[in-house]
Amino acid sequence: MRQAHFVARHEREWMEFERWLDARAGSPRAARAARGWQGLRDEDMPARYRRLCQQLALARRRSYSPVVTARLQDLMQRGHNALYRPAPPRWRRALEFLLADFPRLVRAQRGCLWASAALFVVSTVAMYLAVRWRPELVHSLFDTRQLAQFESMYDPAAAHSRLGRDSGSDLAMFGYYIANNIGIGFRTFAGGLLAGVGSLLVLVFNGVVFGTIAAHLQGIGHGGPFWRFVVGHAAPELSAIVVAGTAGLRLGLGLVAPGRRSRIDALVEGGRIGGKLCIGVFAMLLFAAFVEAFWSSIGSIPGPVKFAVGGVLWALVLGWLGFAGRGRTVRGAPP
Amino acid sequence: MRGDDRSLMLDTFREVHTPEGVALRLPAAGPVPRALAWLIDLGIRIGVLSVSAALIGVLGRAGVGLYFVMAFLLLWGYPVVFEAMYDGQTPGKRAMELRVVSADGAPVGWLASIVRNLLRTVDALPVGYGFGLVASLSDPYGRRLGDMVAGTLVVHAPRLHAPPPPPVAGVHAPVQPLRPEEQVAVIAFAERAAQLTPERQEELADIAEPATGARGGIGVARLLGISNWLLGRR
Repeated sequence: MRQAHFVARHEREWMEFERWLDARAGSPRAARAARGWQGLRDEDMPARYRRLCQQLALARRRSYSPVVTARLQDLMQRGHNALYRPAPPRWRRALEFLLADFPRLVRAQRGCLWASAALFVVSTVAMYLAVRWRPELVHSLFDTRQLAQFESMYDPAAAHSRLGRDSGSDLAMFGYYIANNIGIGFRTFAGGLLAGVGSLLVLVFNGVVFGTIAAHLQGIGHGGPFWRFVVGHAAPELSAIVVAGTAGLRLGLGLVAPGRRSRIDALVEGGRIGGKLCIGVFAMLLFAAFVEAFWSSIGSIPGPVKFAVGGVLWALVLGWLGFAGRGRTVRGAPP
Repeated sequence: MRGDDRSLMLDTFREVHTPEGVALRLPAAGPVPRALAWLIDLGIRIGVLSVSAALIGVLGRAGVGLYFVMAFLLLWGYPVVFEAMYDGQTPGKRAMELRVVSADGAPVGWLASIVRNLLRTVDALPVGYGFGLVASLSDPYGRRLGDMVAGTLVVHAPRLHAPPPPPVAGVHAPVQPLRPEEQVAVIAFAERAAQLTPERQEELADIAEPATGARGGIGVARLLGISNWLLGRR
């Protein structure tokens, strides 16, 4: 069949299909709301799409000109997008993810989780002990100006009633913690693509800095305000960094030890898991930033209350990560 | 996976076979248009941030927090939200007629978009998207590291222009039979003729003299006629 005949025969069909795409493919919700649609019926669309695919294959086989094949390919692609698009996210699903799927996913990465936790905890404790033993070690990590800043932030005799900061209102610090801490969490995951080395470095670096500052402040007698500041948000923040490290190590493992899959397949799988973990890390760090800005900084609350609340938060976070989502069947969740 | 069509061999098409058994041809985009799209997005983000900084300044010290949140959203949220909600196109990509799609040609989902944009951090290493550039130059489909891990692809998505009106010349049978690829070339000439200067048209039509049996203006008219004859407009 000549091209002109082919076009003449099917032109009307293509126009109908295009009108359907313009009117109803964009948003299923808007399409459901729009009554009185006179064109191609929704239930006929898949059959029409398959016909169009067949026509495109014919047009290519017969070497019709790009004017026809490009137009058919465009229509086909738009039809393909409408048929195979991912389902829109739902709020209920987000809640299910946070309460069940995320803790389950964290537990499923047991090996990487323990490795990540060990890297962080060991470097923290080692640095803490080292600096308590040889206080001058602190100078190899921080210069005098930085140390003076830390010391003034947690000075028990200071006039300002705010812990853990030089200046800035609660709201300002909340924004700062969001931008800074969540960015660090995300980068911890991304660094895993460098064969896990990036995540490893971030975990160890954070452990070293935290351990060193804690030991130094404890050594010079500023320990009280420091622990009162840290204990509140430590649970969500430290565990979030460990989970981000888990996601990064899992991604790096795909490159280093892909097992029986090709490296790229292992990486794609690691990316999928890591991406989901990062959504949870985002939620955890958002909560941590809230606690850090509005609770941890209140200097007037006595130590025992702070430590009790910190303990409760630790129990909640660890209980959530360790037990949430156990024993429930997964309804309609992707494996 | 590559088609047997020889014209594709030198191009960066990725062919994906849909469940309907038809090859979807995805024209992968290279680093240059993508870098330009990124620059446009960067400009937009800096613009939005500085305008909002001016507005937030009124709020005083609490506004600083809002500014940080804004910066965070623009840095991490902007690409994900646009790609996932607006057909895989950030404003910069839209301006450059690019689109992010899944490796199988389907629209990009939230998770894939999150992964490819989080891994931007690694692509941006060591400086100025160095890793991303090396990756996209060595990958046949121009993917950066984040695209590989997320299973996505950036493709050219030009808006289709309306088909040109058919040339009005008459119908003319070729002097000698034409091989299939010659027929394709003649039809392509007719469809693009409107965009060419008359001199260029004559120059091209002269190459086809054995088929038309004429040169110059008459050759052009006859070649258009042959095209009509081939297309079945008789």
